[in-house]
Amino acid sequence: MTDRTGYLARQVLRYSISLFIIVTLIFLIPRMMPGDPFVSLLGEEVYYRSPELVTELKAQYGLDRPLPEQYLSYLQNLVQGNLGYSFHYSQPVWDVIAYKMKWTIVLLIPAVILGAILGIVVGAVAGWRRGCGLDTGVTSLFLFIYSMPHYWLAMLFVLIFAFYLGLFPLSGITGGGLEGVQKLRDVLWHMALPVFVLTLFGTTYNYFIMRSSVVQIASEGFVLTARAKGLAEIDVLFRHVLRNAMLPLVTVIALDFGFMVSGALLVEIVFSWGGMGTLVYDAVLARDYPLLHGSFLVIAACVLVANFLADVLYAVLDPRIKGDETA
Amino acid sequence: MSEFARRCAGSLDLVGLHARRLSWPVLFGLLLLALFLMLAIFAPFIAPYDPWEPGRPFLLPSTVHPLGTNDIGQDIFSELVFGARISLFVGFFAAFVSVAIGTLVGLFSGYLRGAADEVLMGVTDIILIIPALPLMIILTAHTSPSIWNIIIVIGALWWCSTARVVRSRVLQLREMPFVEAARSLGAGDIYIVFRHILPNTLQVIMAKFILVVAGAMLTEASLSFLGLGDPLQKSWGMMLSYAFSRGGFINGYWWWYLPPGICISLAVLSFVLIGFGLEEQDRGEMNANRL
Repeated sequence: MTDRTGYLARQVLRYSISLFIIVTLIFLIPRMMPGDPFVSLLGEEVYYRSPELVTELKAQYGLDRPLPEQYLSYLQNLVQGNLGYSFHYSQPVWDVIAYKMKWTIVLLIPAVILGAILGIVVGAVAGWRRGCGLDTGVTSLFLFIYSMPHYWLAMLFVLIFAFYLGLFPLSGITGGGLEGVQKLRDVLWHMALPVFVLTLFGTTYNYFIMRSSVVQIASEGFVLTARAKGLAEIDVLFRHVLRNAMLPLVTVIALDFGFMVSGALLVEIVFSWGGMGTLVYDAVLARDYPLLHGSFLVIAACVLVANFLADVLYAVLDPRIKGDETA
Repeated sequence: MSEFARRCAGSLDLVGLHARRLSWPVLFGLLLLALFLMLAIFAPFIAPYDPWEPGRPFLLPSTVHPLGTNDIGQDIFSELVFGARISLFVGFFAAFVSVAIGTLVGLFSGYLRGAADEVLMGVTDIILIIPALPLMIILTAHTSPSIWNIIIVIGALWWCSTARVVRSRVLQLREMPFVEAARSLGAGDIYIVFRHILPNTLQVIMAKFILVVAGAMLTEASLSFLGLGDPLQKSWGMMLSYAFSRGGFINGYWWWYLPPGICISLAVLSFVLIGFGLEEQDRGEMNANRL
């Protein structure tokens, strides 16, 4: 038990350092880039509105003080949950993000879970039957999906299933004017296509990892033993091989969570889904830097938390984890 | 097999492409890549129009304009042909920068070990966890839009997996007799690293390079789509971005936004196929040795 605590303590340290670096990066980037950092910090819209307002805001935000002092007050604000003010939305950045984040998570969670399950099962079967017709077919298909830009596949799906076939709505979260169960059904209907696209990509990532890890394990001695005992192929695969191949996958799924978030940002834009993706898109177009910085901070924090949870899960699942061994 | 093919095969041996056992994914990938390289090199001869020349907007596909025209009347087919140049250029250069950084980090981290190794790998671990695309969005949003900035940003953030792979290969190599022999002859560390260890890691580096080109092309397409691309260069990503933001998507003008997407997908696929095929071959050999 103490070993496990040591392992977790080291992970906590590692993630704290990562978070600290991310926070510092957001402080440094606007101040190190060419051009007037005030444009980046207050947003272009404000900067060109009036010089008096700029001086006033500089004083208000402490931008006329030396860097270390600015850094301290920046950290203080962060701790209090103050991410700055979005001039594009005329709201505190945190309020905007808190609302939009919800809708991105609604898309992400089913996609990550479905993608993991499908990827694991299909990948395991393909790796087990490596080289047969099924493996070749499925692998080719997934290689092709892997090569597509996420948002372009989304555009293709909209063209086929929404534009021509009319099976799904073109865009948005809900048609509006609905309440209760009807609204829920409407939202589910709207999210079907984006979730399907994201699930495809999630499946693809997990498929290749699972497939190669099963191929590797299939040549181990214990698999031969299991077969020699007379176990059915299905039992060998799902009881012996899969159990060993699953462990590294926990970490990998968490790392892929970062890719999935990036994918979700782009897919959302195509579907005009009012989550973080459309938010970032608007922020880029309006060059609303406080909003961009806040979005990045929140997204990065979510990815860090997901990875940390995966490490905790890994420690719980794998009895071999020892804290005193430095990797 | 012709004499030419045999000679090509000889020079490809270095990076692990053995012509006698070229599997179908590698072969198909190489063919596809050759096609796109031809398109990029001979673009001025293939494209019927100057892709920058404005004309009548929103023309439908016809014999005059095979894929119609865009919102300011530029010929879409010509844009597509010239786009191969920019997209491949960004892919290759960004991959070159990222693999160069990753190789240096991996070489020194694996060869020096100890404190240097821990610091370098610690940094690698941290960068690996930070979601790359959102950070790239921030960095490119703060710089003026240009393909060089995109290349630098991709290169600066994408070297982690190369560093890890090179490091583990170097850890194996540094214990081998030939390295010890060089050391006992009085060779310096720098000489050993670049003269003896680097050449032996080329195969791993090449495999990584191929996959990073694919990733870099996709990332360029994503950044361009978000409006962070170089407005002075016509990449496939920029074409998609314009088609999306200027009404091509909403109005269902598929001839405007399907072809650039197909080109990106196939060009990326060519690299992915080569990388995947080589990996499968290695694995096949490894398993064969084991049994």
